[in-house]
Amino acid sequence: MNLIIYPLVVLWTLSGIIFFPIVFLFWRVILRWDSARIMRLFIWLYGRGWLVIMSPFLQFRRMGFDKGTIKPPYIIVINHLSFFDFWCMALLPFSNVVVAVRSWPFKMPWFAPFMKLAGYLDVESLGWTGSLSSGAEILRKGGSVLFFPEGHRSRDGKLQRFYSGPFKLSEETGINILPLCITGTDMFLPPGSWWMIPAKIYLKALTPIDPKDFHMTLGHMKLQKHTKTMIAQNLAEMRKA
Amino acid sequence: MIDEKVIEIINTSLASEFELDIDKMVPEALLFEDLGLDSLDRVDTVILLEQAFKFKIREEEEIRQIRTLGDIHTFVIKKIQSLRETEGAIQ
Repeated sequence: MNLIIYPLVVLWTLSGIIFFPIVFLFWRVILRWDSARIMRLFIWLYGRGWLVIMSPFLQFRRMGFDKGTIKPPYIIVINHLSFFDFWCMALLPFSNVVVAVRSWPFKMPWFAPFMKLAGYLDVESLGWTGSLSSGAEILRKGGSVLFFPEGHRSRDGKLQRFYSGPFKLSEETGINILPLCITGTDMFLPPGSWWMIPAKIYLKALTPIDPKDFHMTLGHMKLQKHTKTMIAQNLAEMRKA
Repeated sequence: MIDEKVIEIINTSLASEFELDIDKMVPEALLFEDLGLDSLDRVDTVILLEQAFKFKIREEEEIRQIRTLGDIHTFVIKKIQSLRETEGAIQ
C-alpha cells in the first residue's frame, strides 16, 4: 500500500505546484478573491486529493455535518492524534479555514510558502496576543480558525491539557466554538512513523457552543472545560462503537 | 491564615484550573518551562489568585517578576501579611 500511495502523493503534489499558479491567477483576476482565500481553497482541494488517493485503503466517515446545521465562521477545536489529522480537515464541508499551528511546520520549505500565503497562524512566533488579534481579523472577514488545543499530538490517544487561547478568542469575538472529534488517524499514521496502515477514520462535529453562555469571570476557562468534556465523552463513545 | 494553608490553596486552585500534575508543583518549578503554562495562563493565574484570596493584585509591578511557583507562594504570603498590617494600623 505504501509503495503505491507515496508515489501518487508525490505526483499529486507536483501537479498541484505546476497548476497552482494558473488556478491562482484565474481566481485572482477573474473572480477577484483575495490571495489568502484562494490559497485556503487550494489547500482544501489538495487535501481532498489526498483523501481520494488514500480512499482504497482508508474508510472515511463524517458525522454531524448535516446540511443546514453548520454555519461558519467558527473557532474549530479538535483533538490531535497524528500528522494526518491536518489532511483530514479536507473532510470539512467548507474551505475558508485558517489553521493555527506551532512554528515547526513553517520550517518545512515545501509547505511554508503556501501556509504563509493562506495566512496560517504561527502561534509560537506571534505569541497569544498576536495570534488572538490575527485570529479575530480572520473571523471578522468570515474565515474560520482551527486549533489543536492540546498543542501536541497525543501519544496514547488520551486527551491532554487544553490551552486556553481558542476559548479566549471565542470569548473576545463572540464566535461559536465548533468542537470536532477525530479517531483512527493514530492507527493509520502513528506519531513518529511514516509507514501507513489501513484504518477507519471518523470525523464528528459536535453541537457548536455559544460563548455567551459562559459570560462570567474566567468564562473562557469554563468554556474550555465544557468543550474538553464534550470532546472526551464523544471520543469515548466513538471508540466504543 | 498560616503559610502552609496559603500554599495549599494556591497549588490546589492552579492544579485544578490548569490540569497540572500535583507532583510537579514544587516551589522551584518554572511556570512556563516546567508546568507548561503560557502567557494567557499567567493572566488567568492573577485572576484566580484574586478570587481565592479576595484581594486585587493585577496592577502590581512585582507580578511581572514572577518566574516560579515558589515566587507565587512568596508573593501571596507577603501580600496577605501587608494587608493584615494595613488593617491593624487602621484599627
